[in-house]
Amino acid sequence: MPQENSYPALQAEGLTKQYGKRLALADCNLNVPRGRVVGLVGPNGAGKSTLLNLACGLITPTAGMLRVLGSPPAANAAHLAKVGFVAQDTPVYGTFTVADHLRMGAKLNPSWDQSLADRRIAQVGLNLKQKAGRLSGGQRAQLALTIAAAKRPELLIFDEPAAALDPLARDGFMQNLMEFVAELGASAILSSHLLSDVERVCDYLIVLCASRVQVAGEVKDLLAQHHRLVAPRGELDRLPAEVEVIRMQHTDQYSRAVVRVAGALPRTPWSVEPVSLEEMVLSYMTRAAGVSAGLTDAMAGEAVR
Amino acid sequence: MIWTTWRQFRGQALVGVIGLALIAAYFLYLGFDIRESYDNYRAQCASLADCGPQLSQFSADYENTLLYLAALLGLIPGLVGMFWGAPLVARELEAGTQRLVWSQSVTRRHWLAVKLALVGLASMVVAGAASLLLTWAASPVDQVADNRFSTILFGARNIAPIAYAAFAFVLGTLIGLLVRRTVPAMALTILAFVVFQFLVPNVIRPHFLPAEHLTMPMTVQAINQARSLGSITGAPVVKGLTVPDAWVTDVSELLTKTGEPLDEGIFNECFTNAPETGTAEGPYGDTAVCLAKHDVHVEIAYQPTSRYWSFQWLESAFYLVLAGLLAGFGFWRLQRRPS
Amino acid sequence: MIWMSWRQFRTQALVGVVALAPLAAYLLFTGLDIRQAYDRYQSRCEVADRCLDAMSQFQDDYRTRLLFLALLLAIIPAVLGVFWGAPLIARELESGTQRLVWNQSVTRRRWLAVKLLFVGFASMAVAALASLLLTWAASPYDKVSGERFAALAFGARNLTPIAYAALAFVLGTVIGLLMRKTVPAMALTILAFTLLQFLMPNMVRPHLMEPVTVTKAMTADALRELRGVGTDATVKGLSIPNAWVTGTSKLLTASGQPVDARTIDTCLTKPPQTAGGGAGDTAGCLGDLNLHVKVDYQPNSRYWSFQWIESAFYLALAGLLAGFGLWRIQRHVS
Repeated sequence: MPQENSYPALQAEGLTKQYGKRLALADCNLNVPRGRVVGLVGPNGAGKSTLLNLACGLITPTAGMLRVLGSPPAANAAHLAKVGFVAQDTPVYGTFTVADHLRMGAKLNPSWDQSLADRRIAQVGLNLKQKAGRLSGGQRAQLALTIAAAKRPELLIFDEPAAALDPLARDGFMQNLMEFVAELGASAILSSHLLSDVERVCDYLIVLCASRVQVAGEVKDLLAQHHRLVAPRGELDRLPAEVEVIRMQHTDQYSRAVVRVAGALPRTPWSVEPVSLEEMVLSYMTRAAGVSAGLTDAMAGEAVR
Repeated sequence: MIWTTWRQFRGQALVGVIGLALIAAYFLYLGFDIRESYDNYRAQCASLADCGPQLSQFSADYENTLLYLAALLGLIPGLVGMFWGAPLVARELEAGTQRLVWSQSVTRRHWLAVKLALVGLASMVVAGAASLLLTWAASPVDQVADNRFSTILFGARNIAPIAYAAFAFVLGTLIGLLVRRTVPAMALTILAFVVFQFLVPNVIRPHFLPAEHLTMPMTVQAINQARSLGSITGAPVVKGLTVPDAWVTDVSELLTKTGEPLDEGIFNECFTNAPETGTAEGPYGDTAVCLAKHDVHVEIAYQPTSRYWSFQWLESAFYLVLAGLLAGFGFWRLQRRPS
Repeated sequence: MIWMSWRQFRTQALVGVVALAPLAAYLLFTGLDIRQAYDRYQSRCEVADRCLDAMSQFQDDYRTRLLFLALLLAIIPAVLGVFWGAPLIARELESGTQRLVWNQSVTRRRWLAVKLLFVGFASMAVAALASLLLTWAASPYDKVSGERFAALAFGARNLTPIAYAALAFVLGTVIGLLMRKTVPAMALTILAFTLLQFLMPNMVRPHLMEPVTVTKAMTADALRELRGVGTDATVKGLSIPNAWVTGTSKLLTASGQPVDARTIDTCLTKPPQTAGGGAGDTAGCLGDLNLHVKVDYQPNSRYWSFQWIESAFYLALAGLLAGFGLWRIQRHVS
């Protein structure tokens, strides 16, 4: 089936979601190929959860088009089977035991992989007889991840999967997550406001700020397209049209600019340095924050952390 | 603390006010309807003395309606306990918000005390208003029927419903505190309250004051006034004997002159093969004549109607004390077993 | 999905069974008790002139108890709607677990449909059992009283309680789906269902079938059997044997006009004195005016038609609500 291989993991055109008058996601255009681990980054309240909830069909868009694995989200049971989702607060049934949850997964998913689930539960040391209401935040996250993974989806979506975990647990969790994705041969989308997580595991990046997609693309392409220019103050005011300034900082003598150029950088007389992923993301966030609320650089940087 | 309590309670309070308004409107309508009907019947007879048949027809007209309404009024405290009491603490424990509110500069006891006092008072006001209106609406019928000591009506008039509401509310709160989950606490509250409301009138109320006793000889006439004779087990029992101006709380089995219960064999013999007299009158006919020949009597325990208000006060006090005890247990428990 | 529905429902089911058991036992006891009493009264019927007396006493003995049982049976659907219906979806939405379960390979509609069917049938089974027992227990009484259409008794016998339970449950579920919070949904369910159960017998039921209309001459004898005559020419408490009177016109003169207030007032307050005196005089005075009333009624022979129509009405309503819920859950709920 040639078509099966041609559809992207996530495709959005003009995707918009409004809650009453509040715009949660505006005019979002994406085309994420399959087989990627996608990092969705942005400050709190940027619309990350909205985008992911749209992607798994929990909410419907106000306007625009969204295709997940080639179909509208949650189109039918077969499509549901292909997408695994772990919500932000990793909901589980408080009165169910861990074993009940696995049984639920087995009953509700035709593609359920019991051996994978058993192995995972043993690996993270969960007691099958324990009520899920008594689990710690980290254990709950592990349980939710196991349920999502054992249905063997083509696309795994995680909303802030590591938010409830301490640094050590988070490290292990991310490790597990990557093993999963590799074992399943699946695509994955995970949102985070922690750049370090994203930097470690993702090969595709979406920066979402102030309800809009600021930039999206393969990490290595993005790094190749972004540069830092350093020049005496004032000289960066007139740049060629194909050079897009993301962020400009001035000191007394110098101006520093993070810029994006689609192709090769035109020859410039100034010093050109590569940017780190973190610096690039920060630049986009700062720009978005400045546009939306006129925040200072320092405060925007604070929001990222 | 008062503001916080009000802020959390106002949605429920609004629902309560709406419900109460509907009930009040209906009770008012009913009250005027009853009064109009009373005047109609009264107009049909020259003086109150020879108005007997009309007035008994009048009270029969409203008997069923008033019984339903008494049952409805009996449900109000249950609903209050369920919707206002049970979620009061359980919702906080379920959502974990007690960790927020207990870390303010207010002790837990203070927190619970204000909640109990404010919402408890509201519960009593709702029940009180409903009871007052029903007591007013039903008063012409009650005057004619003169049965306000009866199990159901007693608990749906005057001050008793207020105490029920206080008790149900505290009961709900405490169950919520112990169960820690809202919906099961609500279910348990209504169950416990219904069981309690069933037990008190039947088991406890008759003993609030020592009953008066009398021995009633079971003549043919007296037997024919009973509502029923005998039981499924065949025991020689009489049901539905009445004493004028009194609430009969207990009737013994049929006793012979020596004070022993009448032999079941004789009783059943009278029932199935009473000697035919051909002249026997009344609902039990020859059976009554046959039984009366054995010179039987019954011991009756009763509470005179004049004790009505003593019983209203005693029952209210009983429920209020219970509510107080439950609240005390709640305070103790809250301090001893934190979060 | 059935396992899932059962796993989430089993505690509630257990509570339901525990609560139903004593009620069932009591209904059995009452049924046996009533039968025994009936036989005893029946035995007195061998002497013909005492039969009427015996039967009226038999009715007096059990009237109140059966009324309360009917009231209890009327409450059962409401309780089911509140405790089984309202939390069904609201609890999931409140705790966010819908985000877990809706991302398994089962569509929301199927999820809701299975839950509605599973718990809905359980609700109907509970109501059916209670209704069956009460119908059986009360049957000797009902045979004697003949009041088949009485508002409470009609809704507490045979089929109707089952349909009530189905509606109450679906109503609770849909309210929970819309309100998304358990306790308010429970409160609204009880309010809405009570209102419906109040409106149905008074407003809707009389019109489920075209009533039979007769003209009844208001002779002095007929007037004496009334419960009351108002000054605005209304009559109260007119009854027709073996029928449920749904509407009575004002007192009409031979020309079909309502009799004027002054004539009635005169008859009520200053009737021409006769030997009997009292209410008899008023009846005689009005009876001389050659009045009649138009009476709408439903004959008792239509009892089963009404049972079926009312049940179908509630079931259809439940079906519509369920359909709305299934539509809504796909479109609007997150």
